Amino acid sequence: MAHVVQSLDQPSNYKDSQARVDRQKQNELLAKSSTLYVGNLSFYTTEEQIYEVFTKCGSPEDGGGVKRIIMGLDRNTRTPCGFCFVEYYTHAEALASMRYISGTKLDERIIRCDLDLGYKDGRQFGRGRSGGQVRDEHRQDYDPGRGGWGAQAQRAEIERRREVEERYADANGMAAGGGGDWKEINAPPTEQTLKRGRSPEDDASGARQGQRARMDEPDPEAERM
Amino acid sequence: MSYDRPYNNRRRNRDDYERREVYETPEQKLRTAIIRLGEVDVVQEIPRVVKQIREQAAGSVPAISEGFRIGVTEQPYKIPYYANLLRLLHDPAEGEPEPSTSGSPSLGKQILEDFWKGFQAFLDKLSWRETRLCIHFFAHLTMAKVITVQSMSSLLQSFVAVLDEFGVSHGRAKRAGLCAAEGLMIAGKTLKEESVTNVTDIIDAIQTYIESTASSKRLVQPVALFHANLDSLENADELLESALAVLKALNSADFSESVDSYPQPYADLPDLPDGAAAFELPSVLVPPEIIELDGLSADTGEEAQVKKEEWPEYYIRLFENEVTPNPVSPAGYAVRSALLDIVEIFEVNRKECARLLLEYPKWTLPGTFKPRPGTPAELQPEPVPGKNWQLESALMEIVLGALFVLPQSTYKAIYYIGLITEICKLSPSTVGPAVGKSIRKLYASLADGLDVEIGRRFAEWFAIHMSNFGFQWVWKEWVSDLSLSHNHPKRGFARRAVEFEIRLAYFERIAKTLPEAFQAEGASVLPEHAPGPDFEYDEPSNPYHNAAQSVLNLLKGRAKADDVLAHLESLKTAIGETADGDVNVDAVGRSVAVQSLLNIGSRSFSHFLNAIERYLPVLRSLAQGGPEAKTDILTAVSLFWKRNRQMIAIVFDKLMQYQIVDPTDVVGWTFTNGVGNERGSSEGSSVINAHDWDLLKGALDKANGRVLVARRRVTALRKEEDDTRARAKASGGGDVASMEVDAEIKPDEPESAVLTTAVKAFTSLTSQQKSTLARALEGFITCLGSASSDGQAGPVAPDVVTEKAWHNRANWTDEEWNTWETWGWYRHFCRAYSPYLRNYSTTLGTVSLNKLEGSTDPAALQIMKIWNVATGEEA
Repeated sequence: MAHVVQSLDQPSNYKDSQARVDRQKQNELLAKSSTLYVGNLSFYTTEEQIYEVFTKCGSPEDGGGVKRIIMGLDRNTRTPCGFCFVEYYTHAEALASMRYISGTKLDERIIRCDLDLGYKDGRQFGRGRSGGQVRDEHRQDYDPGRGGWGAQAQRAEIERRREVEERYADANGMAAGGGGDWKEINAPPTEQTLKRGRSPEDDASGARQGQRARMDEPDPEAERM
Repeated sequence: MSYDRPYNNRRRNRDDYERREVYETPEQKLRTAIIRLGEVDVVQEIPRVVKQIREQAAGSVPAISEGFRIGVTEQPYKIPYYANLLRLLHDPAEGEPEPSTSGSPSLGKQILEDFWKGFQAFLDKLSWRETRLCIHFFAHLTMAKVITVQSMSSLLQSFVAVLDEFGVSHGRAKRAGLCAAEGLMIAGKTLKEESVTNVTDIIDAIQTYIESTASSKRLVQPVALFHANLDSLENADELLESALAVLKALNSADFSESVDSYPQPYADLPDLPDGAAAFELPSVLVPPEIIELDGLSADTGEEAQVKKEEWPEYYIRLFENEVTPNPVSPAGYAVRSALLDIVEIFEVNRKECARLLLEYPKWTLPGTFKPRPGTPAELQPEPVPGKNWQLESALMEIVLGALFVLPQSTYKAIYYIGLITEICKLSPSTVGPAVGKSIRKLYASLADGLDVEIGRRFAEWFAIHMSNFGFQWVWKEWVSDLSLSHNHPKRGFARRAVEFEIRLAYFERIAKTLPEAFQAEGASVLPEHAPGPDFEYDEPSNPYHNAAQSVLNLLKGRAKADDVLAHLESLKTAIGETADGDVNVDAVGRSVAVQSLLNIGSRSFSHFLNAIERYLPVLRSLAQGGPEAKTDILTAVSLFWKRNRQMIAIVFDKLMQYQIVDPTDVVGWTFTNGVGNERGSSEGSSVINAHDWDLLKGALDKANGRVLVARRRVTALRKEEDDTRARAKASGGGDVASMEVDAEIKPDEPESAVLTTAVKAFTSLTSQQKSTLARALEGFITCLGSASSDGQAGPVAPDVVTEKAWHNRANWTDEEWNTWETWGWYRHFCRAYSPYLRNYSTTLGTVSLNKLEGSTDPAALQIMKIWNVATGEEA
């Protein structure tokens, strides 16, 4: 049913310039993606607020739910810079969020969702020259939810701001997996690594050290606009 | 916002660059013209589209009929005009000879023949909505004399026949019944002229079917009156029953009212030209439902297919018949079902849906809705008595009605919530008051038995709606209700609504929207502090303060899991040696360890995930020690997050995900320990409140979801292996002898190790699912059945379900309201999980319900009754 109107769950034309796969492959990934990019967040919005909204599109009865949330951070200050990734267990849940949540308000801002190729460690950091999101480089107005003109915040936001500023000081760009598929507990020990419940891609890389080294010099274009 | 502009411009340019120009072929243009019919003025456009179709008709019949098919099934509000259009296409074009002389069928007839193929395809797939809307189209065409009355009558009979099928499922019967009923509403006048008995046969068959569903109605009525056996409710209507009532009303006046319910733009057209025979709809058989046999059965041997929408469908009423269409009046039914169809069809785009809903009046008969404010007097139609409804109130009533359908709405609640937001955004000044009135009406009905699940959805909608509109609600008007008992549904609603609002925003933001009286401590609406962690061992006075600090330091220093475990062991020994009196050192150890772990992960959801992923071996070790260990872990979580119930649900969910605890553990814990949260103590009788229900639902859904995933995996693997085998067999070709050998060997080939593991997982998960459901059932029986031996059931359990007690509810205390709410959640448990419970009904029934057998206690009888209806043992 989309002859008469366009469905809202179509991915945008955004192309991740850093992704190392071609356009066709990207489209294939998007067609089964369970990850969303969420933009236009207030810098003060917490993961729990995000969870509360996005869990409304969860389908635990179909083996779904919110797998993890990765807060986008300014790569210099390690403070939220207005975007995040929400990863579900199923593709259908990501589509439902596109239809029902994208374009509604969270923390009194209209948020925007887009299907994403999938989170990779390091993408949580802003790609703007200042460390935040690229789009904030272009911003010319006063936006209290995004740090005013730059550093000033509204009086009412000061308390939230202080909490937020400290919260991610320990961020190292390595996101938890959120728990994987159910496994027989008495499985042979070879499955030990899988049982940690990380995402398959995390396990597959197997190059923890390498990733950590890369984390110290975050990819300057890691996030998306 | 100015900053959006440069950014968006840049983006738009790039998009333009990347998007290729779309060229429509002439056929596509024709199709589009049909689909877009009436976007400005339908009556004026019809002749133009007729002309356009005629000019390009050669070889384009399939494209034209596809246009009709899409138009009819995706824009049902245009159906009467499509019928008009198709009728005109039956006339000979200018300069063309009369059909009697040309011998070839008219263009209209060719299109209809092709359209029929599409209808047959919808029917074969059992696409019920599309099927039903095609029947609308056929019914209008019958009124337009394009289709023979006789063949239309037979078509409706084929759908009525479904109601008589042996063991027909409710969902199938309901949908087939609606197909027949709505076709009759539109075309009844000519059908009855042809044959009175055909019409009464249809009506009687629907009536007989409805009578057989009396018991199941009681489980899904939106107002829960446990004592009553009401067939009809004052403020809610069942869909199929409404249709029946409408048919009876129409029939009593020989369907003369149809013309006031459905536009008939074709009514004044002459009969088909000489020699053009009306179309005979071929006869059809409604195909049986496809039951997928995947060979994976639950232990009872029954299929564990989960079928939804198997219940009568109740829609709540919020307004008077003068304000919104009455669903049991012909005109009211027509408008409501048309609006409901729009809500369902345009689920893919809630913004367009909102626009179409607000534009709907232009497709109705004049005077159906009040004119929009500001419409010049000369353009205002004459109000029609019995109509002249308020569009915005009608939209609210219908969208909320769909949101509140029990046991669950067709789409996720958030769809309907988002749709209402969009409707409000399009016309805030007219929709706003309708939203306010709906909220007040629902709030008032909380005191009169509004179902607990509807109450939960109401609070959810309220909070999300407010979060989209600046949290502006006039709480002041509910101040007087703060004198009601603490657990009165109205006060429960206020607490839940504020809690949800805080989750979506933050404490200070919501606090400032509440009047003084709601902020006061005694109101217990607003918590004392912002939600946050509560580390029991933070206080230096706590006897285990030092022990906890030492664990915390290890965790903060990212010590290895083994070292943490070793340290915990030594702590337990030390505590055991120094403690005075009886101390359960294992329990203390678990509580210290779990709370410390939560403490290092308390900054955010991600921090929590990181903390537990790093220390999964510690958690696994703590969980070893039987059900008691799991209970201790869950209790530690609930203590640590006692000021943030959202986190309790999140942590429980992830503990299940990481397989530290099982869904059964969470269900068990909720019944034994879950009640302490809202009431501040775990003393007293065991009851289930809305928060407890959220935890139960989380666990039950987890157990069911796992079975589903495992089932899909086995099915996929089996298919894969079958395909591989088939390929191997095929490639072995050529030599007949070798093929025969293959054929003998292959079936015996053992399944792969992956498949064996998958089947084993499925078996384990099925048995977990069963034990989770069993634990929940047992929990409810313990709460409610006074016959139970351990005496946990409240003394008021049987009383609150009696009529006398209900009429005295103005004097109920918290205890009665708690028990009443528990009854509500039991009823919801049975109906919401009925497809799963049915699979295990024999075993579950024997284990848990046996002790109630033969009891005459009203509570025991009520428990049994609800169970029997939910499991299909009582229709």
